[in-house]
Amino acid sequence: MNDMRIVRKDVDMNDTKISAKKVQVFYGETHAIKDVDVEIKDKTVTAFIGPSGCGKSTFLRCLNRMNDTIDICRVEGNILLDGEDIYDKRVDPVQLRAKVGMVFQRPNPFPKSIYDNIAYGPRIHGLAKNKADLDEIVEKALRRGAIWDEVKDRLDAPGTGLSGGQQQRLCIARAVATEPEVLLMDEPCSALDPIATLQVEELIDELRENFSVVIVTHSMQQAARVSQKTAFFHLGNLVEYGDTEQIFTNPHDERTESYITGRIG
Amino acid sequence: MPLLWLFILVVALGLIGFILGRTRALKDANGDIRLLHSLPNYYGSNVLLAVLIPGLAAMLLWLILQPMVIQGQVSSMIPDTAYTDKGSLNLVMSDVRRVAEGLDIAVEQGTLTREQARDIRTELTDIRARLGAVGVALGSNVESYVLKAAQKYRTMNAVGNWMMTVAVLGAALAGFAVSMLRTNKDMRARNSVERVIQGLLIGAASIAILTTLGIVLSLIFNTIEFFKLYPALDFFFGTTWSPSFGGGSELGILPLFWGTFYVSIIALLVAVPIGLFAAIYLSEYAGPKVRAIAKPLLEVLAGIPTIVYGLFALLTVGPMLMTVFGADGGLGWMQGGRSVMTAGLVMGVMLIPFVSSLSDDIINAVPQAMRDGSLGLGATKSETVRQVVLPAALPGIVGAILLAASRAIGETMIVVLGAGAAAKLNLNPFEAMTTVTTRIVSQLTGDADFASAEALVAFALGMTLFVITLVLNIFALVIVRKYREQYD
Repeated sequence: MNDMRIVRKDVDMNDTKISAKKVQVFYGETHAIKDVDVEIKDKTVTAFIGPSGCGKSTFLRCLNRMNDTIDICRVEGNILLDGEDIYDKRVDPVQLRAKVGMVFQRPNPFPKSIYDNIAYGPRIHGLAKNKADLDEIVEKALRRGAIWDEVKDRLDAPGTGLSGGQQQRLCIARAVATEPEVLLMDEPCSALDPIATLQVEELIDELRENFSVVIVTHSMQQAARVSQKTAFFHLGNLVEYGDTEQIFTNPHDERTESYITGRIG
Repeated sequence: MPLLWLFILVVALGLIGFILGRTRALKDANGDIRLLHSLPNYYGSNVLLAVLIPGLAAMLLWLILQPMVIQGQVSSMIPDTAYTDKGSLNLVMSDVRRVAEGLDIAVEQGTLTREQARDIRTELTDIRARLGAVGVALGSNVESYVLKAAQKYRTMNAVGNWMMTVAVLGAALAGFAVSMLRTNKDMRARNSVERVIQGLLIGAASIAILTTLGIVLSLIFNTIEFFKLYPALDFFFGTTWSPSFGGGSELGILPLFWGTFYVSIIALLVAVPIGLFAAIYLSEYAGPKVRAIAKPLLEVLAGIPTIVYGLFALLTVGPMLMTVFGADGGLGWMQGGRSVMTAGLVMGVMLIPFVSSLSDDIINAVPQAMRDGSLGLGATKSETVRQVVLPAALPGIVGAILLAASRAIGETMIVVLGAGAAAKLNLNPFEAMTTVTTRIVSQLTGDADFASAEALVAFALGMTLFVITLVLNIFALVIVRKYREQYD
């Protein structure tokens, strides 16, 4: 881990944004997530690492109830967002997802223009009063997505015509445009080349000023570079959770140590 | 040798070749399959094909060519005075064939010997009576040249059949010998067998294409014939359709075309919303259990023969509409059960499974990532369907609708029974009208003289329909193809 370059920034870790207690997830008969307790801080990048199939993506999708779209999936336990149980019957998953945005593994721009891709969320949630307002929201989101300079002259071009890295930044900008409080990212760089990955990582670091970011990643270097907190999952269990620096330099659990030094996984 | 026996013999030879070829290849490799270039069965199949292809090809060729050659030879024996044109020559020739057949039967039944059949003369024997006695009735007394021609026909046929047997067996045996000699462990048997299989597949594909070509050509030639008899301008722009076989018909396509168009529009107005909504429900909202039952049930609609839909239109929908829109219902818009509306509604029901099934497949082809992306932004299910899934699937859905439209335009039975037979240019959908397809049927049923404009107009109508549906189909295909480039 010589190339690890941990970003040291002042982390404002006073408030808990999401608090999960005793979360269990079942896919039919399969017990995919077992007894996960985790506290995700506000204005922090939290990384979920672990071998394939360990349940980190599943757990991430619990945080904005995306697992609801899978028929056979069942979630037990408590997940609190700002102290409110998101699996409570009174909570509308649609409103929840407006607060907890999501970026997926593969870039998935809608087959619409770049402008309409960004304006999609604000239009649905009625964030803009008029066209000028919407223009402003779109520009701001694209700037925050670090893609404004590349697309400002072709906002009417289809979003699907961009390169993979641009598409992913477009998707991040799209998620940012709805002003979520938490941004979930499921391996956002796995389909990108190193340069696009670097751009997205820089972007994640900037997003931390406004949002709480949770990122699932296979790359331990990436986790080390962008996150302040790291959670290590193994076989559906949360093995260890702590400051990124501590996890990578002084893991308490031997499974964590084995994984980050490349012996299991 | 009878044809069937010859065929069986060739096949048997092929099967023997299969076994011998396989054995020979194996023996050449000392029983070790790994030393062979191909699997043993390929060597066998190679010999089998080497026997069957030349043998059966020779048989087929002979069966096509022999009658042509004999016909040419024999017809030259008929004196020029006996016929005036090609038609009456054909009549004489069919007499010749019939007499020859009669002689064959007589020989078989033993009333004539082979020599007698070869040598009898019209001057000495009453051929008509002799043949009548064995069950072959002839229309008139047999002229001497007809009998001579028939006798020549018989001998040539006998010689020809004998030669065919020799040729077929020769070709089969030659194929057998050559392929057996070439069989050794290094021969590329698999490659040659697979070439034959490829040829077979190409053959099947070209039969389908050539048939289409044949249909188009026959339509084109008959349409050209029609336009020689009737001016094209009057056909395409005439507003009256009143064919009468006595002459003086007016054959304007516009009233028929309007009927087709009107019925199709009503059918699509019924089928497109219902089919599309059903597809959206099935693909986006229905659970797997409902889907497993509902989708096949909906597709049963597509399996109902259109004549049954026609009966439904005639017996149920027509009278039902009459009670509402007819004189009894007080509105008085409808004169009888048959109307554009009746046919259109029923045809719409028929088209629902077309639209829903195709749209369902297309909606399902929209990647889940699109839905996840939209749902992840806090969109509701219906917002996702309306703003992401449907726009992404739209070109494909348009393609499905255009395919349904070409079905509607070509549909016949429902309009025959449901829409009536009066060719009118009218806006009232409760009026009986008629369509291009039903007029094609009525122009060609009964004893139509195929040289008249009234019968030939059917081909011009068919050609027009064909061109319209072809254009619609091409348009649909182009759109569907473009749709694949939309996402990803």
